[in-house]
Order: sequence, then C-alpha cells, then structure tokens
Amino acid sequence: MIKPFFYLKPRTLEEALDALQADGARALAGGTDLLVEMRNGERRPETLVDIKGLKDLEELTFDPQKGATIGAGVSLNVLIDNAQVRKHLPVLSEAAFSIATYQLRNRATLVGNICNASPAADMAPALYILGGEVVIANAEGQRRLPIHDFLTGVKQTALKQGELVLRVEIPRLAKGKMAFLKKQRIKGHDLALINMAGLADRQTGALRICIGACAVTPVLLSDLGSLYKDAKDVEKLAERVAELSGSAISPIDDVRCSKEYREDMVRVFVKRLVRQICSGG
Amino acid sequence: MKRENNSVKITVTVNGIEYRETVPAHTTLLQFLREKLLLTGTKEGCGIGECGACTVIMNGKSVASCLVLAAEADGARVRTVEGEMRDGELSVLQKAFIEHGATQCGFCTPGMIMSAQELLERNSNPSREEVVEAIAGNLCRCTGYEPIVEAIEAVITSKDSSRRNT
Amino acid sequence: MAETNDSYTYIGKSVTRRDGVEKVTGAALFTHDLVVQGMLYAKTVRSPYAYARIKSIDTREAEKWPGVRAVVTGKELSYKVGLYVLDKDILAKDYARYQGEAVAAVAADSELAAEQACEKIRVEWEPLQPVLDPKEALKENAPRVHPDLEHYGYMKGVFFPKPGTNIPHQQKIRKGDVGKGFRQADAVVETRFYNPPVQHVPIETHVSIAQALPGGKVQIWTSAQSPYTVRNLFSVCFGIPHQNIRVKVPYVGGGFGGKAGIHLEPLCYVLSRKAGGRPVKLTMTREEEFNTMPSRQGLYSEFKTGATKDGKIVALQVGYYWDAGAYADYGVNIGRAAAYAGAGPYEVPNCSIDSYVVYTNKVFGTAYRGFGHLEVLWGIERNMDIVARTIGLDPVEFRMRNVLRPGSVTITGERITEHHGRVDKCLQAVAKEIGWKGYKTEQQREQEKRSGKVRGKGTALLHKAPAMPTFTSTGVVLKFNENGTVDLMTSLVDYGQGTYTTLAQIAAEELKIPLEKINIPWDSDTSFTPYDWQTVASKGAFMSGNATIMAARDCLRQLKETASQVLRCPVEELECGSERVFLRHQPDTAIQYKDLAYGYVYPNGNAIGGPVIGRGLYIAQGLTNLDPETGQGLPALDWTYGAHGMEIEVDTETGNVEVLKIASSFDVGKVLNEALVRGQIIGGVVQGLGSAMTEEFRFSREGKLENPGLVDYKILSAKDIPRKMTQHVVETPQTDGPYGARGVAEHPMISVPSALGNALYDALGIDYFRLPLNAERIYFGIRSGKKEHHG
Repeated sequence: MIKPFFYLKPRTLEEALDALQADGARALAGGTDLLVEMRNGERRPETLVDIKGLKDLEELTFDPQKGATIGAGVSLNVLIDNAQVRKHLPVLSEAAFSIATYQLRNRATLVGNICNASPAADMAPALYILGGEVVIANAEGQRRLPIHDFLTGVKQTALKQGELVLRVEIPRLAKGKMAFLKKQRIKGHDLALINMAGLADRQTGALRICIGACAVTPVLLSDLGSLYKDAKDVEKLAERVAELSGSAISPIDDVRCSKEYREDMVRVFVKRLVRQICSGG
Repeated sequence: MKRENNSVKITVTVNGIEYRETVPAHTTLLQFLREKLLLTGTKEGCGIGECGACTVIMNGKSVASCLVLAAEADGARVRTVEGEMRDGELSVLQKAFIEHGATQCGFCTPGMIMSAQELLERNSNPSREEVVEAIAGNLCRCTGYEPIVEAIEAVITSKDSSRRNT
Repeated sequence: MAETNDSYTYIGKSVTRRDGVEKVTGAALFTHDLVVQGMLYAKTVRSPYAYARIKSIDTREAEKWPGVRAVVTGKELSYKVGLYVLDKDILAKDYARYQGEAVAAVAADSELAAEQACEKIRVEWEPLQPVLDPKEALKENAPRVHPDLEHYGYMKGVFFPKPGTNIPHQQKIRKGDVGKGFRQADAVVETRFYNPPVQHVPIETHVSIAQALPGGKVQIWTSAQSPYTVRNLFSVCFGIPHQNIRVKVPYVGGGFGGKAGIHLEPLCYVLSRKAGGRPVKLTMTREEEFNTMPSRQGLYSEFKTGATKDGKIVALQVGYYWDAGAYADYGVNIGRAAAYAGAGPYEVPNCSIDSYVVYTNKVFGTAYRGFGHLEVLWGIERNMDIVARTIGLDPVEFRMRNVLRPGSVTITGERITEHHGRVDKCLQAVAKEIGWKGYKTEQQREQEKRSGKVRGKGTALLHKAPAMPTFTSTGVVLKFNENGTVDLMTSLVDYGQGTYTTLAQIAAEELKIPLEKINIPWDSDTSFTPYDWQTVASKGAFMSGNATIMAARDCLRQLKETASQVLRCPVEELECGSERVFLRHQPDTAIQYKDLAYGYVYPNGNAIGGPVIGRGLYIAQGLTNLDPETGQGLPALDWTYGAHGMEIEVDTETGNVEVLKIASSFDVGKVLNEALVRGQIIGGVVQGLGSAMTEEFRFSREGKLENPGLVDYKILSAKDIPRKMTQHVVETPQTDGPYGARGVAEHPMISVPSALGNALYDALGIDYFRLPLNAERIYFGIRSGKKEHHG
C-alpha cells in the first residue's frame, strides 16, 4: 500500500519549485511509475508535488522551423494522437505507442518516462537520435541538458532537489527515415528486453542509432555517418552497424532474459532497423 | 506552500453524483470508490496498473484507478461500471457482453467494460486491431478474450446510436 | 440417466448465462468486495528465506501500533492443516519452509495500519541450506523439508508417505512386464522433459474473512471452490464440530484449482479469536498471490518406450518427479492421478510408472486446471512424436495405432467400452482442421528458413478423468416458490464455467417449465445449500447434473402424488408439462404447479400435500482405490478425451512464435450448452498457451522467487491470442452422464504445450524438452544448430 505523505498542488511554477525544495519531495505527473514505487516501498517521498495544476506544462508544440516541444504534463496518448508528431517525428509516436497499455498511456508522460530513468526507458532512444534537450526549471531560472547528459545511471538523472523538468525540446526537426523497435516477451504490456531508435538521412548521410536496455543508460552509436555515406549495399551496412553495436553495449542477465539473448537480439534488431531506415528512396 | 496535514479535500463527480470528501492523501481513486463510496464494481487485481481490473473513465479517458490518487481526481468526472445502466436498462455493450459470453467469472468485467466503452465513445468505427489495443490492458484469465472481442465488435456493427452512453 | 431423445427444449441450446447482469453491472459481490460489521484487516510477515529456522519473533512494537487488535505468530498455534497429509502449520512454526511463507500476522482497523505494524515485527532468522530440486531432494543425504513426516496424520490406504525421506507420496502403476515388452520392441527410445512451476493467476486473488463467534462457532466468507471442504478441513484442524462452522462463498473471481482447498481461512480465524471475535479479512496482494499462495508443481518426466516397427507400443516405463514445494496440499493426489493417467490415452500392454511427489523448499503446489495432466502430457505427447519419428511413422498415424478404443484396457485395468469417448475421432478432426499431411522434409525447412519465417504443424492428444475420492458425492435441492418458480440449491460453485446455467437448463428440461422460472441463488452456504464435494475435476455438470435430474423427478413425483388425490386418479395416469400436472387421456383436467407448490387447498379449506422440495443426489459409483503396488483399480468416473492441432509460424531470427491456428476437439458425450462449452475451450486453450509460451516461476539460487508479479510473470493479453481458434466436439454418449454428457472444464488447457512442442519440431526440425517455449528458448535451440535443445 502507499504510505502516508503530504500532497500539494501548486498553482504556479514558483510554488512548485518552492515545494520541491523540501527534502523528500517529488514531482507527480502521470504517477504510473512513481505510485508503483511508493506502493512497493521502493520510494517513500514525504511530499508529492502535483504538477498537473501547471497548465503550461501541458503544451505540445510543433513548428517546422523551431522544432517540437513536449511539456512535462503531456500524456503519451496526447503525444500519439498529435498528427504532426506522427508525421514528422514518428519515432516518438512509435516509441510512445509501445509503452504499457492504453489506459496507462492516458496518464503516463514522456517526461515522466525519462525522469524515471529506467535503462529500458522506451522514450529515451528516440530522444537521443533526435537530439532531444531537457529544459529544467529551478529557483535560479532555467537550464537545459542534452538527453544524454540528463540520464546518468540506473534510475538516476541529473535533476537536483528543487528542480523540475518543464519540457523536452526537439530543437531541429530531423529529416529522413526514422523508426523505433522494441523486443518484448509478449505482445501485450511488457517492458523492453531491448529497444532502439534509428534515424537515417540520405541527403546528409546522417545515421544515428540508439540502443536501450543494454547498459545503464541508452547507448548512442556515434560515427555512423561516414559508414552510411560510403555504403554501397544496405545489407552490408546493416551487418557493419550490427557489429559496431555489439561492441558498444554491455547488457546483463536479468529475470527477463539472458545477456546473450540481448546481445543476439541487438544484432538482429539493429540490422532490421538499418534495413528499414536506410533502404528505398 | 505550507504542508498542513496529509488529508486533502476533494470534490469529485462519480456517475453523475457530486461528492465532497476529505481523504488521506495516500488514498487512491480506487480505494476512494470502493471504500468511501462503496462502489465495489471496480476491482483491485494487482495495484500496479498491470491488470486493468481497476479501469474507470475519468474526464472521458480510461485510466487505471489504482494509480490515480483520489486527490488527483479533485474536480473530475468519473464513471464506473455502476453508472453504465440508463433508466434501468443495460447499455448496448453490457447486453452484448452477456449475449456473447464475454464474461465468465466476472472479475475483470467491470474494467473491461469501461475500457471498451471508452473506445466506442472516441472511435465510431474501430478496427479489430484497435479493439484489441483498447482492451490489451485488461487481463482476463477465463474467457481467452475472443468472446470479449466478439461482443465489442457486435456493438460496432450493430450501428446502434444509443451505444454512446454519455 | 442418459436420454437419447434429441428434441430437447433446453438441452443442447446455447442459452445465455444467468449471472450476466450482475457481472456486467458490477453488482456481483466477490469476497474481495465484502465488508462485515466490525471487520479488521490482516497483513502477514513472510519469510525472505527458502529455508530458515525462526530464532525469535519480536512483536512488541507491532502490538502497540495504533489500530492493531491482534498479532499472531506460529509459536502460539499448535494445529496442523492438510488435505491428505497434515503437514502444514497455519503460520510457520520454528521453521519457514519456503520463501514467501507467512510467519506472523497482524489484524488492525485498517489495511494500512496492519501493513505498517507488520513492518515493525522483527524476526531473527537462521538461514539454512534449502533443497530446491526434487531430484536433489530424493538423494540420500538431502536436507529434510519435513523431518517429522512420519508423525503426521494422513489419509491411509490412498497415500503412502515414506518415513525418513522427502516423499509424501509415491504412486506405482505396474501392468504386464515391461522387461518382456522391451525385449519384444524393435526400437527403444528414451526421453526426458521438464515443466516449471507456474501460477493460476486468478484475477481475484485469494481472500477470506473469518469470524470467531461466541459459543465456539465460526463464520467464514471466502473466495473458494469448495465451501464444504473448507468446513471439513477447518473442523479437522481445529477440532470444532462441523455444524458450528458456517462457510459462505459468494461470487468467485477465478479459481482454476488454486482455491480448491483451504488457504487463508484458518489464519483469519486465529486472528479473529485473538481480536475478541471481530471478523478478520485477509486479501492477498498480487505479489503474495504468486509468492505465498500455492502454485502448480514443477515436474521432471522420463520415458523409456519400446515400440515395434509396425507402430505398436509394447512397453512404457515412466518416472515422474513432482516438485511439490514445501507442503503436500493437493500435490500427493496429483502425483497419484497423473500416474494412473500417465501413459496417455493409449493402450499399453506393459507399463511401469513411478510417480514421486517430492518436498522442496519452494512455494507449495496445489490443484491447477488439469491436475497434473498438462504436466505429464507435455512429456507423453512430445514423447509420442519422437517415438513415431524414430520408427519412421507419421505421428498422427502412430497415435491412431495405439489409442484406446472399445475393448482396450487401460494401465489400471479399466476396460474401454462403447460408452467411452472416441479419442481417435478427436485426433482426426484436428488433424483435418490444420491440414496435417505429415512432417516437412528437411529441404522444405531449409527453403522456408531463407525467408526468416518457418511454419509448422503439430498435434497432441489428451485425456482426463476427475481425480476424486471414490466416494465423491453431491446433493441438489429444488424448492418451489408459490408462483411456480423453482430455486435450485447447490454448493457447487460457479466461478465462471457457467455450470449454474447448465443446471438450470437441466432442471427446466426435466420439470418442463420455462428456463426463466429456474432461479439459482448465487451464494453457496454450508448452512443452506446441500453438500457438494468440491468444484474441481470437471465433474460439476456430470454429478450435479445427475443430481438435478433426480431432484426434478422427485419434485414431479411429489406434484403428481398430490395431484392424483385432487384429480381422483391413479398417479400413473398423470403427466407433467407446461407447468401443470394433467391427466394423460384428458389433458384439460389439470392442476398448475403453483397451486401445488406449497400444498393444495380445497375450496372448503382442507389442505393436502405441502411445500414441494425435491431432493437429488449423486455418488460416484463403483470406483475403487488403487492397489498400492500395481495401481490397478477403477479410479475414473468418466474419461474425457480430446486433441489439439496447432499451426505456428516461427521467426527464426528471434524465436518468436505466432500461433496461426489452434484446432481443438473433445468428446463431450453430449453438448449441454454450446456457448458454454465453447467458452471453456477458448478460455482453457489460451490459459494453456500461457503455460506453453510464457509462464514460469523463476527462482534464484537461494530459492527466492524472482518474478512474483505481473511485470515479470507474463500471462497472455488480448493481443497475444492465436489468429484463429476452432472448436469441435464429438458426442459419444456417456451412459451415466446427464443426457450423455461428460465434463470438459479442465481439458482444453491440457496438451496445448505438447501441440506447440510438436509443431516446433515440424517447423524447425528441433526437439525442445522444457517449458515454457518462449522466444529465447526457441532462439537458442535454432542457434545451436542441433536437433535437440535441452536448455
């Protein structure tokens, strides 16, 4: 059962930041990770600061020039339903759609997913390849961190006590093909055994792939650009990228599957991902 | 903001009736419905949002009430299975569930009905895939799901406008 | 009791369930929902160790926690509970024998207070070396899970605990001479298989409320399959006379065998007693449901089969090693029942089976749909395919040459007659439905592999009889209401199967009144509803159906008796129909049932007759105990045979399996209600696919359950069901079943894993030997490049 705590619902950002200063205070958005942890006794925050009173955080904006912003209060279903995101940033919609169940997606948020910082966070790989940035508010003002600096370890982020993530920004709209893949044990609600997102831009030759659930934080394969440019054959490219991914990851054995299976599935899925985003016109 | 005590005052409309209550902050919406309002139709199957037995419709959206605090439902309109009948008549979906053998032990049924009803209200012609997606978060151990999908599809094809319950 | 007339009004029709309205409106009350005046809430403290000595338990702080009304530990309780072997304490006493076992309990004003108080209980443990594998537990110097086994009470003549060991029961089947049989064989094949423990995952977890009333009486509300079993075991445990114990069972949110025995009730009672008689409710959380409540036993099975080149099995030697966990519960009976069914639905002239039920330091096994038959048939049906291939025969053909037919004799010496079901017809039906034409060739497989997806087909047979005491009985009472409606009283529990609907159909058919006029009060209550042994074993429709027929005929007799006086005619000239009793040769001379229901009143005021209350009963006829040395005897009320045919598609890169089609066929004798039969089949098949594809308990090396929750114990969701499922029935009448019907409740789950294993061979050319057949296991089999994958 969830143990007693104080509940606050600030009406302004200032109130929220003030409330979050207290030791043992945590922000509450969708609650689909936090309340589970509290019920299981894994976390016992003294105070929950419900940020759903801050209407600005519900903003989901999209601008072909300026990129996209996803507020901390935007639920996964709202994200999925957004036609422009589906069209221009489908990797985000696909990742979001793979999470949990429909009713949980009505509450869970993208920002919550990355703040929970599971190594298998389904929203993370997409943000890595899109160059997502996390905008954080604190008493001094705001700061921003690229996603790869925001996620620091297993269930750990760079967020300090008294800080609140306002939104995630995708500063530049990526061009090219993108996709998200996730390996699960069942087709229904499941955590990722492995997941990954990829982006390939034929024109610029950019190729970015990020693999999750295979290290303490998602692993971004860098330096793929030249490979893509020089590639004569998608199959050979896929093979080469798969090889590189193998040396980049460090998966573990856990109750869900073995390290070996993860390693092998990363190879399989990276190849599928490359085939999907690198072939065709 | 000052922390006063760990109770919250909430005003929530459930099945059309407004309630004003003071509850401990750690009370979930599920507990509030079942223990305070004695609406025991909604069930707890796991407490962590995995089984869907606690599904209710909140402000038009299906949610797992075990992962919603009663405090978060302040100002909300909540619908539970108890509110689906109208003037003593079962809803089209409820009737379809009975006709198609979509309920066996009945424990997952309330949550299943709320998930399905919410689908029917936001999507006038869902595909089978969309039906399955809508109920994939509702675990059933008895029926094997097929009869449930059939019941929902029967409502879709019946083109009965009264299936919209709102 | 079988009727051969096929022009029934209700029998065979797909009438909708009675209980639909209550369930779709949320009005149905489960024990999960019940609140009793003055009720307290309980929580438990559980062992973190698979095996440990309890050095001390300090409950002082817990006792002082606000709202706490009682704290109990095992030390203050000296009772033993058990179905067949009295080996279990209400709370672990001195030793905890599995990780998750309850060692202390608190009853408080709120669930939260109880949980917080539990956190204040300090247990001092001395962890000991657990034994976690039944084969290890059988070894000479294995640690003893129950050093006092020889002092426990047990059901003599049926079960045989072995003193000085970890064996609460061993069942032997000896038919013919296997040595001789092997010498006659052209091929001798040896195979080994394994099933892990799994859980029922009822959506309503175990929950009970008990109240120690003044005067030594007890009141219990519980989510259970057998109110009378709860009452009886409770009585045996506490020495309280039966009539002082009242057990009430409302709606039950799934049972599947897990709620068949006695579980939380004794603990709730001792807490209530200590709390001054206030009712105490204990609801298992989902984690406790996995970790503390019982599972299905794991099983190692070993087969040595001798077959002739023309495809006859001449010898079968089997070893079953059941992982019973820490307590015998139903496990010993499963070890017994699965042994007498343990050659499959085949004629085996020489057979030797040794079925060992073995204690380990894991959560204990109990009944689970199929009662050991899914577990043994995993091995049996996989073995059949392998033996077939070894002698170069098509597996369907091989089965057809060996199936039990009229004239065959089973391994316990039962003779199969014309009135038994036809497993061959079931097999033919599913083989046809999936288009079985024999195994793929290796070339075909290689060709398909290039596309990354390969398809395969497999079949598997099943059989099961109710595994129940030879004296199992049930009673049904039909009582008329003044308006001519009838209440049907039974303690059979309908927890989703729809049996109440079937019984109503039977009552309406026999009484010749409209179906809507049969009313079945839902709750079972040992104070009011007549005895039923247990709602398990797929015997509900059979036995309670027969009892209903008898009760209905008793009503008609009473109605006619009174009517004959009023109409001044011999009883023999009366007929019943359309809710009246009438003179056969003068149908207008009639009296309505409702005018007889509470006695008939003459115009002048005289009255005769009285309330019409029909009594029906059924007791298993002619069943015998099994010979302890040879297993010979007649244990089976009726055998239901069946078959599954499966077509799958395997992604060879990942090991993912898509079930394209599963065709199932059962000889049900007579379909009483097609919609209900279909419901049982689909539900059972999907549950079987869970055991086949995803479900298993994963234990750490120390014996801690690592996946006690839905996050990591995956059951199938709506997205996971097969693309197509078909259901087929054969109707070979069961002479002693109601209208010729047999049960089919458990059967659909059985052999689903076997069919999948066989289909995987067809697809990949690889034999798998362990469940679950999840993607990872299948993948590593493919990767190994070998024809056998034992991992």
